[in-house]
Amino acid sequence: MIPYKIRRLKNGLRVAVNRDRQSKLAAVNLLYEVGARNEEPSRTGFAHLFEHLMFRGTRAVPDFDTPVQMACGENNAFTNNDYTDFYITLPKDNIETALWLESDRMTGLEITPEVLETEKRVVIEEFRQRYLNQPYGDQMMLLRELCFREHPYRWSTIGMKPSHIEEATLREVEEFYRRHYCPSNAILSLSGDLDEEQMFDLAEKWFSEIEDDKSLCQLPLPQEPEQQEPRRRVVERDVPATSLMIAFPMGDRLSEGFYRGDLASDLLAGGESARLYDALVRRRRLLASTNAYILGSVDRGLFILTGQLLPSTSEAEAEEALLEEARKLCDPAAITPYELEKVKNKFEANTLFGELNVMNKAMNLGFYEMLGDLGLINREVEIYRSITAEEVARFCRETFRPERQNTLIYRAKR
Amino acid sequence: MREIPRIEIPRHLEITPTSEELLPNGLRLYTLQADEFEVVRLTLVFHAGPVTQSAPFVAGATANLLAEGSEHLSGREIAERLDFYGSYFEVNLDRDYVYISFCSLSKYIRPTLEMAREILLHPAFPEQEVVTYRTKRRQQLAIERQKVDVQARERFVEALFGEEHPYGVCYPEADYDGLNRRQLLDHYQRLYTATNAIAVCSGKIDAETREAILDLCRAFPTGTPFESPFPPTQSRHEWLIERPKAVQSAIRIGRLLFPRNHPDFVGMQVVATLLGGYFGARLMHNLREEHGYTYGVMATMVNFEREGYFAIATQVGAEVTRKALREIFREIERMRTEIVTEEELTLAKNILTGEMMRILDGPFGIADVTIENVLCGDSNEAVNRNLQEILSITPERILDLAQRYLNPEELSTIIVGRTDE
Repeated sequence: MIPYKIRRLKNGLRVAVNRDRQSKLAAVNLLYEVGARNEEPSRTGFAHLFEHLMFRGTRAVPDFDTPVQMACGENNAFTNNDYTDFYITLPKDNIETALWLESDRMTGLEITPEVLETEKRVVIEEFRQRYLNQPYGDQMMLLRELCFREHPYRWSTIGMKPSHIEEATLREVEEFYRRHYCPSNAILSLSGDLDEEQMFDLAEKWFSEIEDDKSLCQLPLPQEPEQQEPRRRVVERDVPATSLMIAFPMGDRLSEGFYRGDLASDLLAGGESARLYDALVRRRRLLASTNAYILGSVDRGLFILTGQLLPSTSEAEAEEALLEEARKLCDPAAITPYELEKVKNKFEANTLFGELNVMNKAMNLGFYEMLGDLGLINREVEIYRSITAEEVARFCRETFRPERQNTLIYRAKR
Repeated sequence: MREIPRIEIPRHLEITPTSEELLPNGLRLYTLQADEFEVVRLTLVFHAGPVTQSAPFVAGATANLLAEGSEHLSGREIAERLDFYGSYFEVNLDRDYVYISFCSLSKYIRPTLEMAREILLHPAFPEQEVVTYRTKRRQQLAIERQKVDVQARERFVEALFGEEHPYGVCYPEADYDGLNRRQLLDHYQRLYTATNAIAVCSGKIDAETREAILDLCRAFPTGTPFESPFPPTQSRHEWLIERPKAVQSAIRIGRLLFPRNHPDFVGMQVVATLLGGYFGARLMHNLREEHGYTYGVMATMVNFEREGYFAIATQVGAEVTRKALREIFREIERMRTEIVTEEELTLAKNILTGEMMRILDGPFGIADVTIENVLCGDSNEAVNRNLQEILSITPERILDLAQRYLNPEELSTIIVGRTDE
């Protein structure tokens, strides 16, 4: 349970606050509703590149990190397909430093051509380090390409290829900043041992003077047409073991299917007692590792099954075994009340473990407000509790259909 | 115009007091009450890491197979019961120690401790599970070793300690094939004992929970603490492992120094912080922000039970490997010849203060700090002692430490990747 209050400033900035009486730290989170899904197909990776640029100085503060660090703070950021998130933790008495800096870079960013060139090189090194110079590093990129034809989820946050980043221009940077980094497209969330009204006052003090650019409009995203035929792709790579991914399209973050799919994935892979590990790793010894998870994206996402093959297992055998376990869940009688309660308990425990520090709480406040239903933050345990075996089975029947199957075989070169 | 906010820098950190208890069997139990959180964590640390093993991979296999079957329950049944209560069971290893943690909601701590008992006191190490484990792990290690970073890390400790030294040795994947049940049982009986362990519990612990934890801890046989002499270390200066197709090179530069209880350890932590301990630190500024050679670079002091070392680690574009190396050594040289400004040193001090606050935040953080201090033969008084030392360090001492310990001729350099330009 995270107690919170929320208000909207005149310029459209949403501010959510949580009073935490335990910690000596405060967390300041600023979420911008822009991610890789808002990129042009010819400029993929741009939202993430831009996140890097947000640390490269403003007219008033040439170096973002130093004042945070001087205040005993730590800050970082991440970008995903749906949004970009900046966060700072610091001693609660220094919270205003974080607000000063975040409000400053919402309006005064100053990027020189030299800085842009250097930061492009840094991001390309990140591309190489995490995706190209890494066994299985491009696997998820390939799966996205296979499953999405129209929707911008077809590329990863890092982008489709390094050349998209190389070609980015200063004019594009300015345009992106103006369009997406304005108060009405942002959510500020705070957690710390401060009075809620005091937190609102501080937000008002530092952010209310920022003007909102009314020309901003979120362009509608291309929708993914319903998949009619199974898709399959085989790639060969220099890796020690073949790895298999099977993905089925599923509902968006606010759909009923999201929760049912999440529970189904936990029945399959939520811990070592779950079905996939027990059947395919422990008993049948077909796989070295296995997983099932959902993408958890804002728009329609994916239900994903994975398996890393042991040398004696054939690709067909592994694929069939994964599908067989998934399809068993199509029959409600095969899901025992005990098993269902187990995955629900796990969800409840994880929620509580996630509420132990101010950082997680501030981040979650931002995320749920972005979804458009902040109250959901405290309702989800109840939602999971109410789901029946019949509902999980129905989700599985509707989702695990042969004509919706996407299979990526990442084959080890002999 | 609004004024730039004033900041306050803590000069002292408050730490929940820890109670310590020596049980009749010789096990030391530390308790941190934090009633405001509805969770409990119990961690047992055994001096049973790889340095204590009699054959390759035995220490890791023993720790990781503890939960894969007991005298009374199968591995699946154990996992099933822990999962049912949403409890965590976690195994971590470093070269010296094995850390085993159980974490649950306070209301489910009793059934979680029942499973802890099965796992820690009655493991069976079923033959079949050993077979599955060694096949699986052999494959995982082969995958890990494809990464230039992992290769650099392994070659680096070999270069610092010597290929035969317990802190340096790296075994081939094929050595997994020789693992057997007998070895694991021996390792377990020899090292999972009361005098070779400590236990730390934290969170909301009521009288009943406390009794259950005591009950578990009292059940370990006394045993004997692990002791074994180490061979002398043998360092090498330079090592290039060519990977002609690599798009990035992994670089490690460093040297053997001393463990945490040495009087210069904290000082060298400050030196490492200035060089590469934060966004904007000298190496980060040079290699990333100025040149765009890398996504990240860091410098740090690493502590083992009996040794400690200084390390710089990064991955850079393969085509700029030589240039990046030149810049790294330029920054080391600058550390040794120019006196650091008060402003930069204050920044490093504030960063380290903030880092300590973050580590100590929440019930489990204090438990982790307690473990670290106890294993070094110290107590949580070390936290404020170290903080005072950090806050009082002078630019002159930084220069002196850098001159004494960062002589380029005494540093080892490991490169995995390419050095052509």
